[in-house]
Amino acid sequence: MRVFLASLVAVLAVVAAQPALAEQGVSDTEIVLGCSNSFSGPLAFTGEQATRYGVDLYLKVVNDGGGIHGRKVRTVYYDDGYKPQEAVANTRKLVEQDKIFAVIAPQGTAPVAATLDYLEENRVPLLFPFQGSPITRGKKYVFSGMTLYDRQARMMVDYLAGTRKFRTFATLYQDDEYGKAFLTAFEKEFARHGSKMVAAEAVKRGATDVSAQIAKLQAARPQATFLVLTPGPGAQALKEREKIGWTDTVMVSAGPLTDERYLGLAGDAAEGVEGLSLWPDPLVSDLPGVRTYRDAMQKYFSKNEPNRYSLSGYFAAMLFTEAARRAGKTLTRDGFATALESVKSFESGILPPVSIGPDHETQKQGFWVRVEKGRFKPLTDWLKSE
Amino acid sequence: MRVTAAGAGVVALVAWPWVASRYFVFLASLVLVNGIVAVGLNLLSGYTHQLSFGHAGFFAIGAYTAALLTLHAAVLPVPVTLLAAGALTAVVGLAFGVPCLRLGGLYLTMATLAFGIVVSETLLNLDWLTRGADGLRVPAARLGAVTLSGDTARYYLVLAVAAAMVAAAANIVRTRTGRAFLAIRESEVAAQASGVPVAAYRTTAFGLSAFYTGVAGGLFAFVVGFLSPDAFDLFLSVDFVVMIILGGLGSVPGSLAGAAVVTLLHDGLAAFQNYRPLVFGGVLVACMLFMPGGIASALRLRASH
Repeated sequence: MRVFLASLVAVLAVVAAQPALAEQGVSDTEIVLGCSNSFSGPLAFTGEQATRYGVDLYLKVVNDGGGIHGRKVRTVYYDDGYKPQEAVANTRKLVEQDKIFAVIAPQGTAPVAATLDYLEENRVPLLFPFQGSPITRGKKYVFSGMTLYDRQARMMVDYLAGTRKFRTFATLYQDDEYGKAFLTAFEKEFARHGSKMVAAEAVKRGATDVSAQIAKLQAARPQATFLVLTPGPGAQALKEREKIGWTDTVMVSAGPLTDERYLGLAGDAAEGVEGLSLWPDPLVSDLPGVRTYRDAMQKYFSKNEPNRYSLSGYFAAMLFTEAARRAGKTLTRDGFATALESVKSFESGILPPVSIGPDHETQKQGFWVRVEKGRFKPLTDWLKSE
Repeated sequence: MRVTAAGAGVVALVAWPWVASRYFVFLASLVLVNGIVAVGLNLLSGYTHQLSFGHAGFFAIGAYTAALLTLHAAVLPVPVTLLAAGALTAVVGLAFGVPCLRLGGLYLTMATLAFGIVVSETLLNLDWLTRGADGLRVPAARLGAVTLSGDTARYYLVLAVAAAMVAAAANIVRTRTGRAFLAIRESEVAAQASGVPVAAYRTTAFGLSAFYTGVAGGLFAFVVGFLSPDAFDLFLSVDFVVMIILGGLGSVPGSLAGAAVVTLLHDGLAAFQNYRPLVFGGVLVACMLFMPGGIASALRLRASH
C-alpha cells in the first residue's frame, strides 16, 4: 500500500509537470491544431483520410510555402473509435495538455455533440466538424463544415418535388440524430410543395438486414425513395430492391451517403440511383482546386488514392489558412473567429465561392448526380440553399 | 511507518487538485472511478473465482441510472442518486447471479460476455429513454444548493465515494460475509463442508460487485458528462479484467494500482487505439509469466526480502 501510493504520486507528479505556453496554441514559430477522430472502429477510413491525408495534406503545402505569417502549422490527432466518451477525454487532452489553438475536422454527430459545451465554455474554436446535424448552430466559437442536414433535405425536396414534379416519397433512415434530422426536415419541406411522405422505415445503427423495410416501402408505391443511411446498409437496400424487382421508384441517397464506398459496395445494383453530392468527383473533376488537390496528393502521398474525405479535410485546412491569414500577425481566438466570419466570396476552386456570415455555416450547397457505369454523373449545376 | 505513508498518501490525494493541472485532475478522477470498479470486480473474481467479462454492462447501468435520475429528478442530492445507481445495478447483478450459479468456468464467462452485449444493445434500442446512439448529455451533479461543476468539485466527489468504498472493501474480511468469501477463495469444497452456503455467497458476491460497479458508473457519468452505448463494449470489460489481473487477484491495493496503470496506459495510447489490444495483451502475458500474483504480490515479495 505504502509503496503503491508513493509510486502513484511520483508517476502522476512527473507527468503533470509540463510547461504551459503563454498564448494557447500559438507561438512565434508555430500554430497547433488537433482533433479527436476515428482511426479505429467503423469510420476509421473516413477519419484517417480527412485528417492525415486531408488536413495535413493542405498544411504540408502551406508549411512548405513558408507557413502562415511565418508560423508553421502542426497537428495532433487522437483516436476515439467513434466513442463519445473517448472523444471527451481526447479533446480535453488536446486543449489542456497539447494546448491546441483550435479543433479542426473531428467526425461524427455523437462524438462532436459530447465535446460541444466543453469547447464553447473554454472558448476553443471548433472548426468544420465532419457531421451535418444542426447541433452546431448558434455557438460563438463553432463553425459548421458539411452542409447541414436540414439544408440538404430542403435542396433534395426542392429539386425532386419542384423541378422534377415528384409527388409521393418514402424514406429509409438510420434511427439516430442523422436519420431523424433528415426525416423531420423532409416532412416540413413536403408541405410547401404539396407532396407527401407515404412511408418511412427506420434502420437501427449497425443493422445489416433491411429486407423487411424495403418490402414495406415497396407496398406504399412511392415515386422516389430517400436513403439516409451509412454505406453498408445503403448498399444493402439497393441490392435488396434489385432482388425483389422493385423498379418503379427512384432511389435517392442523402449527401453523407453519396460516396464512392457506397457505390463500390452496391456494385451493379447502384446503376441509375440518384443522389445529392456535396463534393465534386475527387478523381475526375477538372475544377482547378480539385486538380491542385490531386497534384498535392501525388506529390506528398503518392500511394493514397484521392477521395472525398481527404478532399473535405483539405478544404477545411484551406479555409483555416485563409482565415488565419486574414486575422493577421497577432493571432487570437477572437480575432480568428472574426476573420472567419468576414470571409466573403472566397474562391477555393473546389466549391462555389464561400461566404461565411454570422450563421457560421461554411457550406450550403450540393449538386444532383446519377450513377452511370459505376460513377456519379452530375445532372445539375450547384444547388444552393439560402 | 505504515501509518505515516498512508497519511502522506491521503494528503497527496486531497492536495492533488492544487498541485496538478486540470487535465490530471480529470485523469485522477477516472483512475479513482476505475479503481472502484476494479475493487468491485475483485470481490467477485478474487474471492469466489467467477471471472466476469460483462462488467461494462453493470457500469453502463449505473451510469445511465445516475444520468437519468439527475435529468428527471434534479432535486435528488448526488449521494442518493449514486446509491440508487448502485442499488439498481446490484438488483440486476443478483438477478443475473442466480441463474449463473449453475454455470462454472468458461460457461459463466460466456454468460457474462453475453450480458455485457445485451446491456449495450438494450441501451441502444431504448432510445426514448436513453437517446440511443445519439448519446445522453449528463447535467452536473447537485448536492443541496451546490452544483458540482468543475473538475475539482467532481474530483472530490469521486475521492470521497472511492475512500468510503475502498475502506469498506478492505474491511470486508472482518465481516461474516467476508470470512465466507475467504473460505470460498481458499477451497470451495472445504467451505461447503464447513457449512458455508457457497451458492448464496456466490450470488451475494455478484450483487456486491455489481453495486460497486454501478456506483462507479454513476460517478463516470458525472466525470465525463456524456454517455452513449458504444463506450460500454467488450473492450471496456476486458480493461476491467486486465486491471485486476495486473493488480493482483483478491487484493484491494492491487486493484487500485491495476486501475491506475491501465487508465494511464490508456491515456498514453490515445493516439494509437488500434494498438491498444496488442499492448494490453502483451502486458497480460508478461504479467502471467513474470508476476502471476500481479503488482500486489510482486510488491509484497520485494518487501519481505
